[in-house]
Amino acid sequence: MEVMPALVADHLRKTYVSGESTVTALADVSFTVAKGDFVALMGPSGCGKSTLLHVCGAMDRASSGRIVLNGQDLATLGDDGLTRVRREQVGFVFQFFNLLPTLTIADNIALPCLLSGMHGATADARARALAERVGIAHRLSHYPQQVSGGEMQRAAIARALVHEPDLLVADEPTGNLDSENGAKVMALLSELNREMRVTVLLATHAADVAAAATRILHMRDGKFEGDRQT
Amino acid sequence: MRLFTQFILRPLAADKMRTATTILGVALGIAVVVAIQLTNASSIRGFETALETVAGKTAVEVVGTGGLDEDTLPSLNWLREYGVASPVIEGNAALVIGDLETLSRRDMEAVRVLGVDILRDMPFRDYQLLDVGQDRDTAVETAAPRGTAPPAPAPVPNVTTQQFLEILTDERSVVISEKLATRRGLVIGSQLRMMFGDRVNSYVIRGLLKNEGPARVLDGNFVLMDIAAAQLAFDRLGRIDRLDVLLTAGADVQGTLAAITARLPPELTAQPPSRRGQQVETMLAAFHANLTALSWIALIVGLFLVYNTVTISVVARRQEIGTLRALGLTRLKVLFLFLGEAAALAVAGIGVGLGLARLLADAAVAMTSATVSTIYIATAAAPPDLDWGHVWLATAMGLPLSLLAAAVPALEASQVQPTAAMRGNDTLDMRVRLRPAMLMAPLTVLALAFGLTQLGPVNGRPLYGYLSAFAIVIGTGLLVPAIMYGLARVSREALRRRLGVEGLLAHANLTSAIPRLSISVAALSVSLSMMVAIAIMIGSFRDTVVYWVGQTLQADLFVGPGIRPTVGQEPTLSPTVIEAVRRHPRVTAIDSFRNVDLVYEGKLTVLGAGTFSVVLDHGAVLFKSPANARDRVREAIGQDGVIISEAFSHKFGKREGDTLTLPTPKGLHGFQVAAVYYDYSNDRGVVIMDAGTFRRYYGDLAPSGLAAFLTPGSDPELVRMEILATLDEGHRAFIFSNWSLREEVLRVFDSTFAITYALELIAIVVAMLGVAGTLLALVLERRRELSLLRLTGANQDQVRKMVIIEAALIGAVSQGIGLVMGFALSMVLIYVINVQSFGWTIQFHMPTWFLIQASIAVVIATAVAGIYPARRAAQLVLSHEE
Repeated sequence: MEVMPALVADHLRKTYVSGESTVTALADVSFTVAKGDFVALMGPSGCGKSTLLHVCGAMDRASSGRIVLNGQDLATLGDDGLTRVRREQVGFVFQFFNLLPTLTIADNIALPCLLSGMHGATADARARALAERVGIAHRLSHYPQQVSGGEMQRAAIARALVHEPDLLVADEPTGNLDSENGAKVMALLSELNREMRVTVLLATHAADVAAAATRILHMRDGKFEGDRQT
Repeated sequence: MRLFTQFILRPLAADKMRTATTILGVALGIAVVVAIQLTNASSIRGFETALETVAGKTAVEVVGTGGLDEDTLPSLNWLREYGVASPVIEGNAALVIGDLETLSRRDMEAVRVLGVDILRDMPFRDYQLLDVGQDRDTAVETAAPRGTAPPAPAPVPNVTTQQFLEILTDERSVVISEKLATRRGLVIGSQLRMMFGDRVNSYVIRGLLKNEGPARVLDGNFVLMDIAAAQLAFDRLGRIDRLDVLLTAGADVQGTLAAITARLPPELTAQPPSRRGQQVETMLAAFHANLTALSWIALIVGLFLVYNTVTISVVARRQEIGTLRALGLTRLKVLFLFLGEAAALAVAGIGVGLGLARLLADAAVAMTSATVSTIYIATAAAPPDLDWGHVWLATAMGLPLSLLAAAVPALEASQVQPTAAMRGNDTLDMRVRLRPAMLMAPLTVLALAFGLTQLGPVNGRPLYGYLSAFAIVIGTGLLVPAIMYGLARVSREALRRRLGVEGLLAHANLTSAIPRLSISVAALSVSLSMMVAIAIMIGSFRDTVVYWVGQTLQADLFVGPGIRPTVGQEPTLSPTVIEAVRRHPRVTAIDSFRNVDLVYEGKLTVLGAGTFSVVLDHGAVLFKSPANARDRVREAIGQDGVIISEAFSHKFGKREGDTLTLPTPKGLHGFQVAAVYYDYSNDRGVVIMDAGTFRRYYGDLAPSGLAAFLTPGSDPELVRMEILATLDEGHRAFIFSNWSLREEVLRVFDSTFAITYALELIAIVVAMLGVAGTLLALVLERRRELSLLRLTGANQDQVRKMVIIEAALIGAVSQGIGLVMGFALSMVLIYVINVQSFGWTIQFHMPTWFLIQASIAVVIATAVAGIYPARRAAQLVLSHEE
């Protein structure tokens, strides 16, 4: 029996109109990611890796081409449909952590569950369990501004996984951390990828970060330059 | 300037909704303040215009309490040494328009009737008789083509006194203004029915006056008759209202006034006609001061919109400010840029506000003229036109206050760091810790507010009362952050449980924005607190009046003339009507009462006559002091004793046992105060003496009203109908049953306070605009977080719901604070400002149901105000890079 891929990108194009000029961020990109893969997108700034992450994570739409997540063509979905996909199937980790400053770490982690209508106590229990798993249980009642960068990123990872998504999208997750904390975060992501069988799509320009992935896709000027298993 | 245009004016023009809302907010505030100024001026002006119009060239008038006895006139012949004197009867009558059988007060139109001795009066006033025939030179002689419409009338040149005399030949002849004739389709020879007190008289129009001189009074509602006819009509036989004096050319008015005063007997006063206007102005001062204070609330709330808009400007363009700072713009210039924005908004708001003021003033005059006419004076004035004074007032208030309102966000803008702004992560940590300083300052101000309530009035004005109210507003406003912080701590779980994740997010957002929100919440709280305070005050006042009416309106029937009494105008009942009431077999007792204007210590008050024995037997007065007031009043019958109203007692510092020296036609005389009674019908102050005492000193004046007590088991309505049936065509009394008079009292009461609710409504609408603006500012400030929330899986409905919950919470917190602040303000209004302004004791009453309804309405209204910001929040572009 053929296993359904987690993610299929088919001739994706993405262009932005800026004034009188048109910028091509993605130029005919196609690839497939198997479930449970840990894929790193590598390339210099402006190569289109963040745009590709956004399109794969249902945050943005491609100008043309198809993107299929767990068998569902995202191009056919409206705003509500994309929101549902993000809420149920995708988790995000960003360079600047992007925790909501007005919520405690506990509430930040529980937020995706709460937004999808999960009972408060259940969401809290899940948040607590994941916080323990990522090592920030002692910071649950703190606000993001009161914890370190490494802790913030751990909280962001917990938030990204609390609703048990199929796809974890991470955009330069170590870009704002020192090397020690960066290495810890990457180790954590690798562990969680194996433990939870969550597919990870990670964008980075650093080779040591990409080394944690099982597959590396090299990008330049909106196109793939190379695709290798590690 | 170029930078200002590009950086401030263009964005203002681009964001039309926000700019228009702010300008409208400022405009409404300015408009309300200026409109109230215009309204206040109009009620005074209406009276003064009427006064000046009728006074003509009169320089000095001689007046006395209850008028002058004709017999005293020969003793005043020495006035000729100073000029010429003309006796005058002046009063209001009602032009009867509808059918006599079904006559109500609505079918009548007020007219000013002037009765003069035309021989003497011609030099005083500008009478221009109009030609009504074909031959203008013989107009007066041929001026009676009965029943024919007049061709275009023209003034009769050089009309002689003799000609005038001929057309005012008898007591049924009148001359009316051309304007009134045209409006009512009347011509020379037409019949004119007028009601004087309870008497309907028919007159024949003998001439028309051009709309000049006295004919302009009350917009042309003017009737001229011979003085003897006027005495008959007003039932003032043997009396005149005043003696107008026209001084010899070149005479020194002040010197002559002093000389005349020195020679007059003590019961008579010589004064310029404008004196009556000043007395009315003083009388209305408290009413006007309260309206003015109320109007400022709308302005303050409007200025809070300026704060909001400039805040939004600063928040939305932090990065641009950072760039400008990085490029070398100084902090001071950044400050001026945003102050300039406030000034631009203020100038536009002032311009629109001045235009709106006139419209609002017309509406306000329509609402307050009923109060002023019913309670104080008869007026028919439109608001005065706007002049440069009003432009100056609006600018002097609007501009500096707008700059002050914009100072906080403008300073914040000037503090933006170039580097931090460029990175886009320099938003302040808004979480607040409760510090002692957050409590110390407001509690000190609130303590000061309490202290101020203990101080007395300044020149009869509740100055410290107003300051206390202001201190309550400031103190509570300063307390808002602490209150919000406290509420935030205790409400988190409840909101999350009740309202789900949106409730949790709304709580988190509001908590983190307490410093930003405090000003909005304080402004909304202030306007809501005024609504609460006024509702409590009016509710209390109304309840007190209902109780007072229940205690004092004991008679079964109240008989009054068809015309309402006003200052200087006391319509009376004729003996025919009094006899018709007295003769009815069911009537067991009658209390007749009569009021005259009394100038006491330079202030206009009322002197009334009542039948003390009837009042005591039937309990128609609620005494305040002393405890044994009823015994003291009974002892006062026949002993020159008087009772005084609470307002009089308060205004002049008189109590039982004190002696009042009152002017009487027989000279100054001392009357001992037997008791003080509650009276909510009049804030001028009333002195009442027994009918016998009044007769002894002021003569036998016709009563202005009767209270009739019936035998037990009588049907008042039946008795009322039977009395009315005995009256002939020429007499029309208004007889109220006990129940219908109570209804009438409350109807007048409610119309009196309609304006206060209207002003409050404007303030609340402006505050709602403010809430929408604040939320919009927060949405723009949080657009990164909102974007993130959407990434995390929040759909548009959830974002909308979150913002609307925030709006409703702002409304609920503001209303909660408003209720507490309003309660405190109502205490000051009831126990300080009201007592010092009007001298009334009001029993406290909480209009609970109204306040519950109002609170729900406020929360719903603020939630509605949140819809637009909620839509903006839900539409934010999804990007975590924002």
